[in-house]
Amino acid sequence: MNNILLLEDLPEIRSWLKVLVKGVFPDAQIHEAARVHDALGLVGAVKFNLALCDLGLPDGSGVDVVAALREQQPECQSVVVTIHDDDDHLFPALQAGAFGYLLKEQARELIAEQLKRMSAGEPPLSPSIARRVISHFASQTQRQERPQNMPHVALTERENEVLLRVAKGYTLPEIGVQLNLSRHTIADYVKQIYRKLNVSSRAEAALEAQRLGLFRRA
Amino acid sequence: MPAPLAAPTRLRVWRCALALLMLAAAGFAQAAPAPVQTITSALASPSTAEQFPVDAPGSAVQLPDDWNDSRPQYEGSVWYRARFDAAEGGVPDELQALYIERVCTNFEVRLNGHRIFSGGRLTEPVTRNCLYPQLVPLPAALLRERGNVLDVHVVGHALQRVTSRERAAGLSALKIGPQSVLAAEHAQRLFWNVGSVKVVSLALAVLGCVMVALSWMQRREAYLGYFGWLSLAWALMSLRLWWRDMPWDNGVIEFLFCTGFAPVTALAVQYLISYTDLRSRWIETALAVQWLLMPLTLLLAGPARLFTMASVWYGLLVLEVLAAVGLHLYVTWRRKRPEFWPMAVLLAGAAAMVLTELAIQHDLVSLPRVQWLHFAVPLLFIAIAGRLMQVFARSLLTAEAGRSTLEGRVKEITAEIEQNFAQLAEMRVEQVTEKERKRIAADLHDDLGAKLLTIVHTSESERISTLAREALEEMRLSVRGLTGKPMRLADALADWRAETVSRLGQANIEADWRGPPEEVDQLLPARGFVQTTRILREAVSNIIKHSGASHCKVRCSISEHEFGLLVQDNGKGIPMELDGKLDRGHGMSSMKHRAKQMQGQCLVESGPGYGTVIRLTLPL
Repeated sequence: MNNILLLEDLPEIRSWLKVLVKGVFPDAQIHEAARVHDALGLVGAVKFNLALCDLGLPDGSGVDVVAALREQQPECQSVVVTIHDDDDHLFPALQAGAFGYLLKEQARELIAEQLKRMSAGEPPLSPSIARRVISHFASQTQRQERPQNMPHVALTERENEVLLRVAKGYTLPEIGVQLNLSRHTIADYVKQIYRKLNVSSRAEAALEAQRLGLFRRA
Repeated sequence: MPAPLAAPTRLRVWRCALALLMLAAAGFAQAAPAPVQTITSALASPSTAEQFPVDAPGSAVQLPDDWNDSRPQYEGSVWYRARFDAAEGGVPDELQALYIERVCTNFEVRLNGHRIFSGGRLTEPVTRNCLYPQLVPLPAALLRERGNVLDVHVVGHALQRVTSRERAAGLSALKIGPQSVLAAEHAQRLFWNVGSVKVVSLALAVLGCVMVALSWMQRREAYLGYFGWLSLAWALMSLRLWWRDMPWDNGVIEFLFCTGFAPVTALAVQYLISYTDLRSRWIETALAVQWLLMPLTLLLAGPARLFTMASVWYGLLVLEVLAAVGLHLYVTWRRKRPEFWPMAVLLAGAAAMVLTELAIQHDLVSLPRVQWLHFAVPLLFIAIAGRLMQVFARSLLTAEAGRSTLEGRVKEITAEIEQNFAQLAEMRVEQVTEKERKRIAADLHDDLGAKLLTIVHTSESERISTLAREALEEMRLSVRGLTGKPMRLADALADWRAETVSRLGQANIEADWRGPPEEVDQLLPARGFVQTTRILREAVSNIIKHSGASHCKVRCSISEHEFGLLVQDNGKGIPMELDGKLDRGHGMSSMKHRAKQMQGQCLVESGPGYGTVIRLTLPL
């Protein structure tokens, strides 16, 4: 873990996060930004391993930074750190390519724990997020058209299984026990789910852009 | 088009028509009764003298005498002398009269040297008596038994100086007989020659005015206007037939009425063409040029060649009209309009009449005794006008019907629009409310949430941080209750399960959550979800913080109208107050209050070694 991006506009929170991140990854170099514009500049200049992005910034949304990271530095893990816990805010971030999310007001130890687990490859998945993912993929399969050069993403049966159980309210460890799989495997499934969500969302966006482009051309 | 009549009916119709024709013919061909004598020969002497020029008695001619045949090019006056005897058996008691069927242009009569009758002015402008049959009573005092001398002084114009053969000078056979008998013949002839023309022309003029008025109201139907003006013009032209004492010279009158046919033709052609919705600039200009050209050429030709010039022009005009008729019928036939056949018959009749008139003009057909063309053509015009007005009325009716259907449609659409508008307004209100709520939520998050967050992470005191954290969670929940839509009960249960199980797991308490066995479809309003979440969180916090339990059991039950939640732990229970009631301090009162707010109830049972049981029931 060499470079970490920290995007947060409230100075107290930013310094608190910095302390926390330093505690989890002592060797990493932390780059701070308070505005989307600065963060995008940093994304172009530095190769990051981890990015912690706030969503509500004065000159835009952190989702743009997440999308930029996903496009320019796919190996970087971007985590959304936000006040909002509702899926209206979190889902778009996940669609843009976020790896996971953290709720800001939780206790320091809790956040540190979650961050460690995330960087180890275990992203979180709540029932409401799972529901949104299910409906997203359901609408994808219903739609007939597909943009050119975009792969058709579909969840495997196992992934669907995991998703459904999360949507029912089971925690990930419980699911591991139910399906007789290790925590690591379940975590892999979740990672795949997020990746496919990102790809499929990008495809949807490209299709939309294509259609708009068509309209404009006509 | 009506179905063709069956054969026997057709035969009957023909027989009736034939009978009518024969009656009409009988009416015309009236044999003169016995006491009437007809004079068919007389001495004719072209002279302008006041009396019969005895020294130049002239030659014997046959009556009827047509000046174009007997003295072509002669213009002026001719004296005729005839002799007759009074009826056999002495001078009769009955009043005698002289009946002249046709005398053109004007005349006066002398009986035995005394002037007994004058038709009007004998010098220019001559009274125009060409179409008027004349009945001259013969005074008994002047009549002799034998050898009455009848002098008729006729003033007329050569054929070359008039524009129509019917105004060429001449004298018909003379009839002498009882006045009563001759008066009947005279009246009949007068009616057919003049009266009918007046009546029909008046009707045509009225109809023409009506059509012009109609076309004024309905500018689109140009053909109505043209035909109206055509009718009026034709009615005006018929003046030449019965207006005897026009104040102008014969030459002027003939010239005026001849040129009058130019506008008449122009109107007829315009009518025929406009009825078919064709417009041609060059035809209109040609017609306008004709208006000028015709009088010009007539003037240039001079009064001596009026008849020839007029005949040529008439031929040209008739050709134009026939061409227009042909075009009109062709276009109407192409468009397969249902009005084709009636109009075709009428126009064919008109064309036939016009051709007959032309034939008469060029002496191909002899001048008929009754000028039936004079009233037949206006009658035809009236028939055409009637047909046009029928078409017009029909189009009005269809327009009316169209308008009423349009009104009905407009009403329909208006109702639809109103309904849509109501729907849209509703949706708008919903949208605006939703937006407003989101705005409040965003404001709360941004402002209050940020401040609380800062407190959470910068406060020295653990207690303050925890309080601020709880406040933030509470705020989130409130915002959720404010902006959230009703959610499915199954989803709510899933959320609760995930949160509760993970919290209990982090506190090392075994969680046993069992939800309802079958699928639930009920909806839970946002506020209900929020309040139940608070109650559940409170209960779980109590278990984690105070109960010291190692195991927690949660059961959900759903029925059609009710939702029940049971939370049971195996902890040390809630301590009792001195008065036997449970300690109020552990948020029990708030839980009960919240449940009551949702029209439900929250029961708590507790005891040492028994643990705590919280039973929550809510109506759905």
